[in-house]
Amino acid sequence: MLIDPSTFRRVVAVRGRLLANDEASVAELARDARISPSRLIRTFAALFGTTPHQLRTRVRLDRARELLAGGAPVTRVCMEVGFSSLGSFSALFTRWTGTAPSRYRAPAPAAPLVPGCLGMLASEPRNFREATPT
Amino acid sequence: MLHINLTSIMVDDQSKALAFYTDVLGFVKRMDFPAGEYRWITVAAPDRDDLQLALEPNANPAAKAFQQAMFAQGIPLASFESTDLDADYARLMKAGVAFTKAPTNAGAVKIAVLSDTVGNLIQLHQRL
Repeated sequence: MLIDPSTFRRVVAVRGRLLANDEASVAELARDARISPSRLIRTFAALFGTTPHQLRTRVRLDRARELLAGGAPVTRVCMEVGFSSLGSFSALFTRWTGTAPSRYRAPAPAAPLVPGCLGMLASEPRNFREATPT
Repeated sequence: MLHINLTSIMVDDQSKALAFYTDVLGFVKRMDFPAGEYRWITVAAPDRDDLQLALEPNANPAAKAFQQAMFAQGIPLASFESTDLDADYARLMKAGVAFTKAPTNAGAVKIAVLSDTVGNLIQLHQRL
């Protein structure tokens, strides 16, 4: 599909809100973007390869993983990232990470290699954590 | 003598990126092996094994911020040559690819811009 500049800007703004874990429903996001929900979903998927709902879930699960790795209790994490059902949160988290949230407590393993740029493959710093001054 | 034979692009999902760059764009996979918690993946044009593009994870927050800002500004992060842009545009449109610019004459080249679904706008160009 060919996306006009105005629609492009509005759909990108919706993505920005979802990445910021905005709690607005997809219908509300569409209304604010002055675009129909079905057109928003279709355009969003064509641009980003995922639906707004799927991106929201991924953002929440990403955040949950960080909180759990920091030792936060599962129930609090579930509520804090925006899930209302512990059951659906646990099922989604387990499917996504391969580990149940109740077992995902250890500190996040330090990535042995997070390329980030080609140069990091062959020299120090080996990843962005090492590259970032503390 | 130095040659440019490998460059890279950040992608927000390596598996999805590999599928898009091969199944949709038509490149072929050249390398795919584990690299820490990610993979080292390169693709190339079917007839040019000497020029490869690495699909790198954008796990670096700085890369993520850069990628998102460039996308929001409508700026492509790479440009691939097409020998027949109108035909490639028609083929990719049929495959459901999102374009932000239809084929447009721009001086010595004709260009079009598409989304690669993994966080980047990609320009296609044909020399005129």
